[in-house]
Amino acid sequence: MKKTLYTCGVAMMGLALIGLTGCASKSVQSGGDSSAQAPAKAGSESNAGSFPSTGVQPSGSGLRGLDKSPSEERVGNGAMLAKVDPSASAARQLDEARAEQAASAAAGLRDVFFAYDSWAISEEGRQALTRNAEWIKSNSSAQVKIEGHCDERGTSAYNLVLGEKRAKAVRNYLVELGIGANRLSVVSYGKEQPSCSEHAEPCYQQNRRGHLVVKSGK
Amino acid sequence: MTQVKWISSVAGGLLLAAGAFGILESGAADVFLEATRPDFQKISLAVAGIQNAGGAEWLGSRIEEVLKKDVKRSLVFDLVDLPSLGIKAHDLGTGMESGAKAVFKQAAGNGVSVVVWGKASLKESGKEADVNMEGLVYDSGSDEVIGGKRYAGAPSVLRLMAHRFADELVFRYTGEPGIARTKIAYVAEHEGAREIAVMDYDGHDARRVTADGFLNLMPRWSPDRRFLVFTAYRSRNTQDIDMIELATGKRWTVVSLGGLNITPALSPDGNFLAFASSYEGNSELYLLDTRTKALQRLTVHPSGDLSPSWSPNGRELTFVSDRGGGPQVFLMSADGSNVRRLTFEGDYNAAPVWSPRGNWIAYVCRIHKEYKLCVISPDGQKRMQLTTGLGVDDSPSWSPDGRHLVFSSTVEGKSHIYMIDADGKNLERLTFEGTRNSAPSWSPAS
Repeated sequence: MKKTLYTCGVAMMGLALIGLTGCASKSVQSGGDSSAQAPAKAGSESNAGSFPSTGVQPSGSGLRGLDKSPSEERVGNGAMLAKVDPSASAARQLDEARAEQAASAAAGLRDVFFAYDSWAISEEGRQALTRNAEWIKSNSSAQVKIEGHCDERGTSAYNLVLGEKRAKAVRNYLVELGIGANRLSVVSYGKEQPSCSEHAEPCYQQNRRGHLVVKSGK
Repeated sequence: MTQVKWISSVAGGLLLAAGAFGILESGAADVFLEATRPDFQKISLAVAGIQNAGGAEWLGSRIEEVLKKDVKRSLVFDLVDLPSLGIKAHDLGTGMESGAKAVFKQAAGNGVSVVVWGKASLKESGKEADVNMEGLVYDSGSDEVIGGKRYAGAPSVLRLMAHRFADELVFRYTGEPGIARTKIAYVAEHEGAREIAVMDYDGHDARRVTADGFLNLMPRWSPDRRFLVFTAYRSRNTQDIDMIELATGKRWTVVSLGGLNITPALSPDGNFLAFASSYEGNSELYLLDTRTKALQRLTVHPSGDLSPSWSPNGRELTFVSDRGGGPQVFLMSADGSNVRRLTFEGDYNAAPVWSPRGNWIAYVCRIHKEYKLCVISPDGQKRMQLTTGLGVDDSPSWSPDGRHLVFSSTVEGKSHIYMIDADGKNLERLTFEGTRNSAPSWSPAS
């Protein structure tokens, strides 16, 4: 599947959206899965935003050494950190999440639960997805997002990959059940958005899930 | 709670190797330190006191406390207490008076190499306040006051003055800049969201640098300390790699490919950004040339590849791959060639980070169902478990001097950030506020 991605480097300062830089559009392969990999694309141009030079300047450590008759050094208040204000997106994120939750609750879509370290869909999971597929088929305009979640064990980074595998396993099964892949999107939240926060297996089980959401925003 | 353990990965070979280097008799921790620095011997240093020279009673002791902790954490000095040696540490003045000289003589006689003292004062004029601090250093080797520092600044930079002086001491005796002025970036939970924050290396002065209301994950520093790169969920549906300039708060997207875009890591020269992306299917490693914007794919494998970390010379990467089933630590050249597996013990090894000295790779190892910190030498010959206990340890990050690690742990319930020496000693909790602090990244030295 070919699709064109439009991406922009967005420069933000606090609340103010001050400009767009380095916008580029580029055609990339996407939606492919583990089996058919494109060869390494050495030298292809990425759609990256502007990149300042971040190498270490030879200005030294800022230390001047001990001195037998030291002159006074003014110690500044670490001009290092700008003050941050809540961005405009914060409120929008909340609204979006609420809308998604409401729409998904109304649709009665069921979660799919996974075993520890696994992204294989169980018999119970297949039954839940069969029910979900019926709803998706009869609501032909709905776009469905599949969130992959993990329990708190393991590293944050690897759980993001594991969460994506779970979300894709759910998507692939829904496609097998006849749902158009263009109606489904996946996102992994790893272990960052648990539904339950106890440190015990009944809770871990609740968190190892593929969660279906009726999309509201973009 | 922590103890150093050897893991006999190559049972016989380990003993043979240890015997060959004549370190069989030593305890594990000593072996480790010897391996890190063959000539390592701490310099005994006494802080005789920071006197109040006017303005505020608490001033001297506040600075002294910060300075002493810095000296201790440097691992360059062995902090000794003069009163416990029977030496009365009074005001040493300029160090030239006979009373001071008697103290130096006694200290030197008790094996103390360096005596540090000073004074501080607070001046208020209207709304403005100014702190003055002076620190002096006596060296028993040359039997003289070798020099000092004078600082001035607002009361808000009190700790920074002590940190600066501590770094000068380390610099004087090792030629290295010290770590007392370094920072730690991390992820702080805030009203259910995950925001990027930065604090001093000792856990003080924490400040948030994002306020998006959703997920920002896994910050990493630029080599010049001016920027952070991190994973940002642009919306609830898409995920990018963003860059933020700390001094201005200016922020922009540097990788926006679609799919999962995680674990960014800038090369030591700042010319390449290594990261994991799933935009072509499953999670693979890519290299972005920050000057030309050319994108090079490094791994081609149906399994997940992630978490790249650069060797200090920028020629190699360590990373995680689950191509063998569970996640394991691998090495490869920075052009993607010469891929080889580094960890073979256990079925879950992840989040590797290469020490700035090059001699160790720290990572998260699963042992008896708990996720703990381990270190392994890049040749795979030496391996050690650094932390024990319950809970999940995650996201190790080296101090720029390679003597400490910072990491997150749920060992006390909620996830907080801890510091530990590279030999598994001196576990110190750094964060006490908030509901969840994770993914620490230690800044380079300034």
